[in-house]
Amino acid sequence: MAAIDVSEVQKFILSTPPFSNLSTAQVTTLLTGISISYVRQGQTLTLEGEAATLHLIRRGACEIRTPKGALVDQIADGECFGVSSVLAQNPDGLEIVAMEDSLVYRFDKASFLTVIAQSDAFALFFKHTRHHRSRKLLRTQSGDINTPALQLSTPIEQVMTRQLIQAIPEETVQVAAARMTEARVSSILIVAGKEEKQRLVGIVTDRDLRSRVLALGITADLSLAEVMTGEPATLLPDSLVMQAQTLMSEHNIHHLPVVSAEGLPVGMVTAADLLRHQELSPILLINQIHRQASVDSLARVCKQWPILIVNLILTDMKPADIGKVLAAVSDNLTRRLIELAIKTLGEPPMAFQFLVFGSQARSDQSLGSDQDNGLMLSRAPTQTEEEYFAALASFVCEGLGECGIRLCPGNIMASNPDWRMTAAQWRQVFSNWVTSAAPSALLNASIFFDIRCVYGDDESVANLITEVQKDVAKNSLFLASLTRSALASKPPLGFFRHFLLESSGEHKHQLDLKHQGLALINDIARLYGLACRTYRVGTIERLEQAIREKLITPDTARNLIDAWDELNGLRLDAQRRHWQSSGKASAYLDPSVLSPLERKHLKATFATIKDAQEIVLQRFARGYA
Amino acid sequence: MLGCLITRYKRWRRDKLSEKRPWQEWEYLVLDIETSGLDAKRDHIVSIGWVLIKQGQIQLDSAQHLLLDGAQVDASVGIHLITDGDLEDRGRREESVIRYLRLLLRDKVLVMHHSPLELGFLKSWWRQLKQPSLSISWLDTLAIERTKAARSSQPIQEGGFRLAPCRMRYGLPEYQGHDALTDALATAELLLAQVAYQGKGCRLHDLLQMGGGHVILGSKQTLKR
Repeated sequence: MAAIDVSEVQKFILSTPPFSNLSTAQVTTLLTGISISYVRQGQTLTLEGEAATLHLIRRGACEIRTPKGALVDQIADGECFGVSSVLAQNPDGLEIVAMEDSLVYRFDKASFLTVIAQSDAFALFFKHTRHHRSRKLLRTQSGDINTPALQLSTPIEQVMTRQLIQAIPEETVQVAAARMTEARVSSILIVAGKEEKQRLVGIVTDRDLRSRVLALGITADLSLAEVMTGEPATLLPDSLVMQAQTLMSEHNIHHLPVVSAEGLPVGMVTAADLLRHQELSPILLINQIHRQASVDSLARVCKQWPILIVNLILTDMKPADIGKVLAAVSDNLTRRLIELAIKTLGEPPMAFQFLVFGSQARSDQSLGSDQDNGLMLSRAPTQTEEEYFAALASFVCEGLGECGIRLCPGNIMASNPDWRMTAAQWRQVFSNWVTSAAPSALLNASIFFDIRCVYGDDESVANLITEVQKDVAKNSLFLASLTRSALASKPPLGFFRHFLLESSGEHKHQLDLKHQGLALINDIARLYGLACRTYRVGTIERLEQAIREKLITPDTARNLIDAWDELNGLRLDAQRRHWQSSGKASAYLDPSVLSPLERKHLKATFATIKDAQEIVLQRFARGYA
Repeated sequence: MLGCLITRYKRWRRDKLSEKRPWQEWEYLVLDIETSGLDAKRDHIVSIGWVLIKQGQIQLDSAQHLLLDGAQVDASVGIHLITDGDLEDRGRREESVIRYLRLLLRDKVLVMHHSPLELGFLKSWWRQLKQPSLSISWLDTLAIERTKAARSSQPIQEGGFRLAPCRMRYGLPEYQGHDALTDALATAELLLAQVAYQGKGCRLHDLLQMGGGHVILGSKQTLKR
């Protein structure tokens, strides 16, 4: 029996996409067999039997959940559910839980299928809905790690206490203790300098008062300067929760002052503040790494790593933050391997530094990043000592390889004797690069200028960087050469602003997001980074530093940062998809999978890089490409 | 005579027992009428709208909207019992509508919002058209709402028991139209909401106690004649 017009129902259906695009006859068909039910908040609807059909929420809100209760989607007035129960027999066993009291229309399955068969647009809409949901479903299936990872990327700013309890070094312990008691805090910041510009010079905690004052029976008239911890470890407001945790466990402290880039105190983070973030998975992985006593067991633990990365990507964590988390994991893995090597080989005959270059140094690793590293020795080794370090280096590099950080195809590894040098030799090598400025010499050397120390006293590395920067400042030709070598790769914008794609090989007609996009921005940022007085190693940090030192206009820098974020996001997502489907991490993107809008966006992104290349060329190479 | 009594007793017992079954095992006819005035004796029914509830769900296909005043029966009204001849003759048209309604009501619970008016008109309509008597159970969503308010001792403002404010309390959408069918649908949705708020295992018995009863449409006198 055909339904008669029930005006309120019809009015609603006709104003709701995709129904609004149906013909009158199709609407009539669809309306045939509709039933209406009312669902109480908290009630669950299963999509089985007669209910395995399309539903439309007339009024209310529902959640789509997996049988295990993980959230797939939230829907409200005018939105549909049950599509996959018709089109794919609800393979995921999804359930609908009412979040509000809801009035729900249930369509007749046969009527729905009839209209699906008649209208392509209508069918397409539901296909999209289904894909959209299954994407979300995919995300929720990694559920357990989701939320912690999000918490992990929380900037410290959002966790810290902003209430600043301060004292000056000349004040007495007694005054400080009274102030702490009054404010009910367990630490006090010691600041010095003019008002409004008081810099952090130290910190005094409850523990300090106990161990440095009371336990020694010292008078409470003592000045704070005598008991405080001077130049304490600090965090920047945009540091991640995870960095705070690492710092605390490394230094065995429970209080971390947060200071602005200018060194002014802005807040305080305590271990208690971080307590709720303790069950975080990258932290868990790091802790596990530190508990392993052999390379084999490390390799086993690191099997979780790609899963962790995929999860971080799925949680929509910011690409820059993913890079920081991954850097923390690989730094800790590297350190653990060095510790294990020392256990196996015995104490090192001299102090040394383990250097990392390239992506690990810049903290922008992703799935399938390879290792680039080297050793810095404090003096020239004897034959036996050289053998010791050769053994240590191959232990670490091979260990990293077994743990999933690929060996460097260019052999830039500590296991290569070329990259095991004394501080003086490193200095010489850099100096040669900078002063000779031969383009061929620079071709493969640029990643060495992204350098970070992950093991050993980093002062000698800092000194090296200072010396290199002095050389760079004296040799303007170097930056010009580096610029020309950097500009040898162009963003894939052809003359007609069409994509220039890899035209051969496995990735024919695909876009290499890493080498045709991200690397170009990294190159530009490196140029600015080397031109800056203050050395930064991350791409975003370099660009931000360049703004501060007025080498780049804020507009250009921010556009580049946005472009980097966007490309990195696309790359991570592409890698995640490749990894999940093939177990390989490929940064190739097939532009045909992008929507026209995304494609337009991507073109604009490449145009940004191209513009920045022009600016760099003018600035560092006087326009001579 | 005794056999008749036993049969009636059995039926009564069966009905009583079945009232204890879950509410959704029953079928409901939710009805709204528009009348030319408020006096069931003088005024007449202008239009009737109804919709059925089966298995706890409103079946939209069952919706009917019948105009009795004049010859303006909606073309889409698809009652097979109304003939072309009926359209010209108000009396005969009414006759077929009431026959159809009587058939439908036989095994259903009648639901209305504010029963005195509807029941009054139905009773006198039954008498006027000399219909065989029909014993039915009925529910009044207004009465149910009033009982609920009294039980929870939540005072409800004057006018708060009209259909629209009742619906609003359950988060039901606001409807623009106020014809008999829209109001019947609105009442049906309200009943679903009220039942949902009764929690699991709501029985017809519970609803009847909150706001309902039994009525015999058409007097014995009519039957005899």
